[in-house]
Order: sequence, then structure tokens, then C-alpha cells
Amino acid sequence: MVTPPKKLLIGPLSTAGSGTLYQQIVDGLKREVSEGRLPPGAPLPSFRNLAADLLVSVITVKRAYEDLEREGIIYRRQGLGTFVAEAADAKSREVKKTRAKQLIEHAVREASEAGLSHQDVVDLLHQIIHENGDSSHGHKRR
Amino acid sequence: MATSAVEIRGLTRRFGKLFTLGPIDLTVPAGTIYGFVGPNGAGKTTTLDLIFGLGGKDGGSIEVMGLDHIRDDVAMKRAAGYVSPDLNYQAWTRVDKAIRFVSGFYPTWDDEYCQTLLKAFHLNWRDQIGALSFGAKTKLSLLLAMSWQPKVLVLDEPTIGLDAISKQQVFAELLGMVRDGERSVLISSHNLSDIERITDHVGMIKSGQMIFEGATTDVVERFRMIDIDATHAAALADQAGITVQETEGLRGRVLVDQRQVTIDHLRARGVTVLSDCPVTLEELFVALGRA
Repeated sequence: MVTPPKKLLIGPLSTAGSGTLYQQIVDGLKREVSEGRLPPGAPLPSFRNLAADLLVSVITVKRAYEDLEREGIIYRRQGLGTFVAEAADAKSREVKKTRAKQLIEHAVREASEAGLSHQDVVDLLHQIIHENGDSSHGHKRR
Repeated sequence: MATSAVEIRGLTRRFGKLFTLGPIDLTVPAGTIYGFVGPNGAGKTTTLDLIFGLGGKDGGSIEVMGLDHIRDDVAMKRAAGYVSPDLNYQAWTRVDKAIRFVSGFYPTWDDEYCQTLLKAFHLNWRDQIGALSFGAKTKLSLLLAMSWQPKVLVLDEPTIGLDAISKQQVFAELLGMVRDGERSVLISSHNLSDIERITDHVGMIKSGQMIFEGATTDVVERFRMIDIDATHAAALADQAGITVQETEGLRGRVLVDQRQVTIDHLRARGVTVLSDCPVTLEELFVALGRA
């Protein structure tokens, strides 16, 4: 049986970071899963241990685990612990896609409130994709 | 087994006509860290002292791990440790002597854990207590209380005089303490950002009365700070769940307790919400504490 990692690093948590600490834990664990550092079946630390490692309250980690469990990214086995679910990376991507859609909807609403036409919004989106594409290409060349 | 580490019901204590504490209800669920916050002079230390029988109560009940704090006094004090800023171990002159003295009282004293804490808190066996900094003395008090592994640890302002690094070490040890799910911590502190980060439950006391208590995340999410028309702010001043913060010209800022009134409800009543923002525990403390 695989033992949980001694210490799970999921990226720095900070009250200066974006979102609540609980959201940062959810996002951090999803990132670990979708980037393959936590493969399906990998054991996760108990929420009390993770809380002590991350210096956050037990309830914060518990909520993050509950959310991830609801989304099907992790599962709990009574007495055994918490594990990364099969196909968790696909689910994690699905959740991210839903969130991206919501953010775009929000952006479109703000843009139309600011008086931008549909064409303006589409142009703006193309421009942003173009700029980001350029910068990531530039990054790869280096 | 008791499901609450500490259970206070209807606690009152009168200080002449000047100040009355309570009636106070406060519950620390087992296995959690509870943050007890409030402005200076609100009654935090009085409440914590009363748990340990320091001063007499005028009414109500206090149970620690299901034990009555007066009737089961001895058993209760074997289960619960208290670290108050008034503790002074100077009489034992050296760290090792203080440790030897205190450890003699507790069959549950854990030498290995004591060594770990000495290292974590950068204290040395042979340090002269009189020569220790204020912060180091605080850490010694914490070490002496934590090393006998009490089921419940009550800490009154344990981080006064500690630098940010020492403070983090203390909080890390407290989180380590509740790791087994059986030990609990009741802590009063003015370090509100730390309290928000590490506590599972939080309660705020003001002028001798509890003004909120609950899971820290719930409490903080319950409140929003909104800007509305000044005329609306004036009209809402007496509404339950609304605390007017300030009005400046045409704009008024109010704190909304969404458990009592929702922002949608305010909108439905014709209030124009100009901005709407979540609050931190610190902002909540200031907003409710000064009003």
C-alpha cells in the first residue's frame, strides 16, 4: 500500500493570493492533479495533517476536500484515507472549462455594460488570445 | 466522551454597577482551535480566568471535557492547561529547573515533546529565565503547558511580544496539537489575520456580550460591506443585521449580516448597491467593535 507523501506541497498559500485560502487549496490540488503530479489512486494526507503543514485551520482543508470530493476529483474510504479519483484529471479539466465559461460570460456582460458591441468583444478576445499565444511562443523559444 | 471541549452556558459575573460580563454562551467543539476575540476590556481574560476558577461567577455553568469547573476542579485541571500573561517562572531561575518543577506535577508529561518544543522555540536547557526576552518567556510558558499534553489548552494572548517567525512556530505547534482530533485549543488574541487563518471556530465578545460565534469561514462569509445611498443608509440604521459605518456626502457604507438581511432583499426594497465587498475577520472586528 502506498503511503501518503510526508509533506504535500501544493504551491504557496497566501491571504495576499487570489481567492480565499480554501479556494487556493482547491485550485492548488487541481493543478497537481491535472499536471500529473498526483496520479489517480495517489493517497492524500489527512486533512488534519495537511492543515498543520499548510498552517491553515482544519476546517479550511476539510471544506476544500469536501468540494473536491463533490466534484469527483478525490474520494474518501472510511479508515483508509483520501485518494485521487480515477479520471480525476479529466474531471479537473471539466471543472476548469465550466469555470472558464463563467468567467467569459462575466466578461461579456461587463463589456456590453461598457457599451462594447458583440464584434468588439470578439475582436478583443482574438486580440487577447493572440497576445497570450505570442508570449507563450516567445517563452518556448527561450 | 464529551463532544465539547469547553461548554459555557449563561455565564455571568458582575463588577458592581460598572461592568457586567454575560450572560455568555461559548462552545469549543472537541478537536478544534477556537479563537476568542474582542476589543480591550470586553471581558476575554475575565471569561478565561473564570473557567479556571480565578474569580467567582455569579451565574451560569462551565464544563471542560464534560467536567464541572468547580465541582470537578481537580480532574478538570488535569485535563486543561492555562497560559496567561500573568505567569511568571522567574522564581525557578533556570529553564531546566522550571521544567523539572512543573513536570513533577503531571503524570502525562512528555519529555520527548518537551525537547522538540525547546528546539522549536529556540530555548536552551540552561538559559537564565531572568535574562530571557519577553517573547522567550512567553514561549517558556507555552512549552510548560504543552509538554504535559493537556486535552484542552487555554491561551490568553499567547503571541504578545512574539516576532512573526516565533508566532508562526507557535501556531504551527497548535495546529500540530489538534492533529489527533482529540485535543482542543481556546485562544484569545488580537492577531486577527492569524486567528482567521488557523482557527476552526471564532467568537467575538464586546462589552461583556458575545456578538457572534461560529465556524470561522461561515462567520467571515456571512458579512458583506456595501456602499449605498446615504439616505438609504440613514433609513436602515435601526434595521437588524445592518451596522452603519460612515456616511460621506451622498454615499453611506454599511456592514450587512446576511443571516439577518440579504443584499438581494435590500435591492428589492429599492436600495441601490453601489459596491459590495467581502470582509476579513479584522475588518469585521473593526466594523462591529467600534459601532
